[in-house]
Order: sequence, then structure tokens, then C-alpha cells
Amino acid sequence: MTAEASGPKAPPRQLDVMICDDNIMLLEVLREVVESEPDMTVVATAQNAEEAIRLAGRHTPDLAVLDVRFPGGGPYAAREIARRSPRTGILAFSAHGDSGAVGEMRHAGVTEYLVKGATNREFLTALRRLGGRLPKS
Amino acid sequence: MTAPQDSSGTGRPARRQASETAFTLLVQGVLDYGIFMLDPGGHISSWNAGAERIKGYRADEIIGRHFSTFYPPEDVAAQKPQRELETAVAEGRLEDEGWRIRKDGSRFWANVVITALFDEDGVLRGFGKVTRDMTERRAAEQALTEHRRLFEHLVRGQEQERQRIAWDVHDDTIQSMVAVGMRLQLLAGRMPEPYAAELAQLDHTVRDAVTRLRNLTFRLHPPGIDRHGLVEALTSHLSDVVESWGLTHSFEHRIDREPSPERAVTIFRIVQEALLNVHKHANASRVALSLESVDNGLLTRVKDDGNGRPLDPTAYHGHFGVMEMRERAESAGGWWSLRSEPGAGTTVEFWVPDLPSTSEDDVPTPGPAGDGASPDAAAGDGTSPPAATGDGASPSPAEEEGP
Ligand SMILES: Nc1ncnc2c1ncn2[C@@H]1O[C@H](COP(=O)(O)OP(=O)(O)OP(=O)(O)O)[C@@H](O)[C@H]1O
Ligand SMILES: [Mg+2]
Repeated sequence: MTAEASGPKAPPRQLDVMICDDNIMLLEVLREVVESEPDMTVVATAQNAEEAIRLAGRHTPDLAVLDVRFPGGGPYAAREIARRSPRTGILAFSAHGDSGAVGEMRHAGVTEYLVKGATNREFLTALRRLGGRLPKS
Repeated sequence: MTAPQDSSGTGRPARRQASETAFTLLVQGVLDYGIFMLDPGGHISSWNAGAERIKGYRADEIIGRHFSTFYPPEDVAAQKPQRELETAVAEGRLEDEGWRIRKDGSRFWANVVITALFDEDGVLRGFGKVTRDMTERRAAEQALTEHRRLFEHLVRGQEQERQRIAWDVHDDTIQSMVAVGMRLQLLAGRMPEPYAAELAQLDHTVRDAVTRLRNLTFRLHPPGIDRHGLVEALTSHLSDVVESWGLTHSFEHRIDREPSPERAVTIFRIVQEALLNVHKHANASRVALSLESVDNGLLTRVKDDGNGRPLDPTAYHGHFGVMEMRERAESAGGWWSLRSEPGAGTTVEFWVPDLPSTSEDDVPTPGPAGDGASPDAAAGDGTSPPAATGDGASPSPAEEEGP
């Protein structure tokens, strides 16, 4: 797999990303996947809803990657992040194929949803789309 | 014995006499009921064949004796016979179920009705007593109740265990494997050939394993059934699993309200097995699922257009699907059926009751297992008097608020 097309004309401002997952292995690899992209930076990571909400308020990141089954409640975290930092786009990242859980996140204002197990490329594409760097599909 | 009352002697005495005689013969000959009379003091004054069969006494052995002879000593000590007569006098009749004693000292479970008999002037003339031996029926009912209770227990345990395994696999194993896969992709992007290709290959293998594991967890525990309901869980099952078998499917549902979680799992599991059978055996191209509220319960139908091979009853050995489906439906208090028409397909149809029940919510409430199906008797451990355990009313206030 080749790297993502490297040079758009004038590289715009970096996308600030917050990553929220209670699984450390996933948290670490997601951080690395994002960090290895030239146009994104990880500004915070959180392992529970409390932390995620607090850090969202402090950093108001462009993007938040949020585990649906998250200690403290994925939908709750989504609502609170949206309240503290309305500019943050939230990508729900779930190990479920459970459409009910998706619905709940949608109600909480989440528009982008990805099942864990998607490829890194799909993950990054979803992030860029959410960050307005790609046309909505 | 008393004959049907007649207001005066103006009838046709001969006819009346004949019908009285026939009536007396009927009462004397009936075997299934002990029918006899007591004088106002409780002494036996008549006896029939049924009473002899049930209690073991001949008429000449028992007439004149006090009816408390039939009661166990503890009841006699508690003056139950006397109280029963008093109640019958006060209220006209009394019905009771309990242990009684036969001539040989053995016990039987009796249903007893005592009726007070008054003459035209309101004077107590005695009592009519009808006794039925319910021992066998009671034993059969208890066996059935016990059987159901055990089965429900088993099903509940099995579901809980499956759910636990599903969560463990889901939360731990799958997530770790996903992380491994993502890392392999990262590495593949950084490595020169031939390593990059090999890493990509490894990533594929991991990804396939993740998919298989995810399907396993879905089978172990239908996602969303607890929170999002039966229809949602069935819909996902059709689109995730049945679709992958290449079966065209339809799903019609008209339900008045969401069944209790336990009923939902019962229905889901039966449908799951019925669909699996369609996949394994029917060679069908389409399957229609329908779910409908009927008679305070849910009627479910799984209809395929496959070979409709009639079931060979001798071939049940080693096949558990059919047995288990029926068992699940019946233990929930419902019924289950399978119809096959060669060439036209097979229909599995079942109904399970789902009365609005307050005791079903898995919260430990006082009393037995808390299944709406088998109320009384079940608490036979003598911990409390058989007072109503207050179902039907509102749930206990403490457990109202959810998370
Ligand atoms: N929809 C169907 N169409 C045709 N034949 C069927 C259908 N459903 C069941 N059968 C027949 O009935 C038999 C018994 O089914 P059952 O589910 O009890 O056992 P099984 O599926 O063979 O094994 P398992 O114990 O794994 O369920 C099957 O072996 C099959 O021959
Ligand atoms: Mg089967």
C-alpha cells in the first residue's frame, strides 16, 4: 500500500485530532497512524469520557475519534464534546456492527461512523472528510 | 340425598320419584367424585362409590363417624374441620385444597367443596361434601412447573454465559487484533519489498480473523437485543447473516409493544435456528419472516420456499434444533409447529405469550424466580404463607429508575 498522495498545492493548516479509546493498544496505534500523516497532529488522547470531555474543552480539536463503547458512555461523551467544543467533528469508531449503537451516536450529533477493522486508509479518509479536506461522499 | 327442590306436592309424583331415583343412582355411582353428606354436627350420613374409591372406607365403616377423620392430625389440632363448617354456614359454601388422609393412613391431595344445606325455614340440616383426588394432577403440574423452571434457568444461564463470552471476545480479543492489523499496515507502508507485501498479507489474515470473530460474537449474543429490541436484532440478523447465505428475505412485523427481554431472546433464538435450518437443509431461494401480536403474545412465522422435505421422526437422533425450538417455545408457555410441503417449502410457526409482567425484569424481587408463568405453589419451601406476592400491581418503587 502506497502512502497517501503527498503534496497538495499549499498544505493547509494541520488538523488537530483527539483520540478516545480505552484500549491502550488501539489508542497507541491510532496515534501513530494519525501522526504519520503530514497534515494531522494528535493533540490529546483520552481513555474515559471524563477525560475526553475535559480535554475537548481545553484543546477544541478539529476532530475527535471516539469509541462507541467507551467507559463513561460513548453517546454521552459525544454530546458533551459537542457542547464544550462545537467546532469538533466527531468520528465514531466502533467494534460493533450494531446499527442501534450507530443510531444512538447519530442522535448525539455524530455524523461520521467507522467500524473497527476498517483499513488505515479508510480511517484517514473518514477523518479528512470530516475535517472538510475531502468532498463529502 | 336431597332431590331438586320442589315447591309443593302438586307435581306428578310418579315422574318425580323416578327422576329422584335416577339422580340418587347417579350420585351413588359416580366414581370420580366423593359425594356425601354430613349432619349439622359434622357426622357422615351418606356415602357414595367415589368416596369409597378415594378414601378407602366402605359406607358401613364410615357412616356416623365425624368427618375430621379425613384430616391430618395437624389440621385437626388447628380445628380446621370445625372452622370449615363454620365458614360454610356463614357463607353458604367453602372450597379448600389440601392434604387428606385415606383409611390406610396414606395422604392424598384433595379439592373439597362443602355446601351448607338449609331447609325452607332456614334451619341447618347438614352439609353436602364433594371431594376430588387431585394428587396425580398436582404431581403432573408440579413436574411440568419444575421442568419449565429448570429449562428457563438453563436458558438464562446459557444466555448470560454467551453474552459474557461475546463481550470478552469483543472487548479484548477483537480490539487487540484490530490494533495489530493497523500496526501491520503502518509497517507495510514503511518497509521495502518483499516485506511490505508479506506484511500486507499478514494484515489480510488478521482482518479475516476479525470478521470471523465478529460474526461469532453476533451469534453468541445478538447485538442490540437488550437495548434496541427484537425487531432491530432480527433485522440485523437478516441483513448480516441471512444475506451472506444468498437467501432473499422479507420481514413483516406488526407488534403492539416490545416483548420482555427474556421473551425477545426466546423468539430470537428460535428464529435463528429456524433460519439456520433453512440455510442448511431447505435449498431455498427465499425466506419470509413475520412477527405479529396475537392473543397477548407474539406469533412468529419463518416460511421458506425450499424442498419441504418432511421430517423423518426417526432421524431426530443427534438433531437438536427442532427439539430445542419446541422446548424453548413451550417452556415460555407457548406452542411451536413445523409444516412441510414437499416442493412447496417448510413453515416454522410458533406463539409465545407475553403478558405485561412486572416481575420479569430480572431484578431480584422477593419470591421465586420471578417468571410470570408459574405463580403459586412454586414457593413450596414453606418460607411464607401462601399470601399473594403482590404481582400485578406496580413494580417495587426502588427499581424504577434506570441508568
Ligand atoms: N426448513 C427446512 N427445510 C427442509 N428440511 C428441514 C428444514 N428444517 C429442518 N429440516 C430437516 O429436519 C431435520 C432436523 O432439524 P434439526 O434442526 O432438529 O437438526 P439439524 O439441523 O440437522 O441439526 P442441529 O442439531 O445442528 O440443529 C434436519 O436434519 C432436516 O432434515
Ligand atoms: Mg438445525
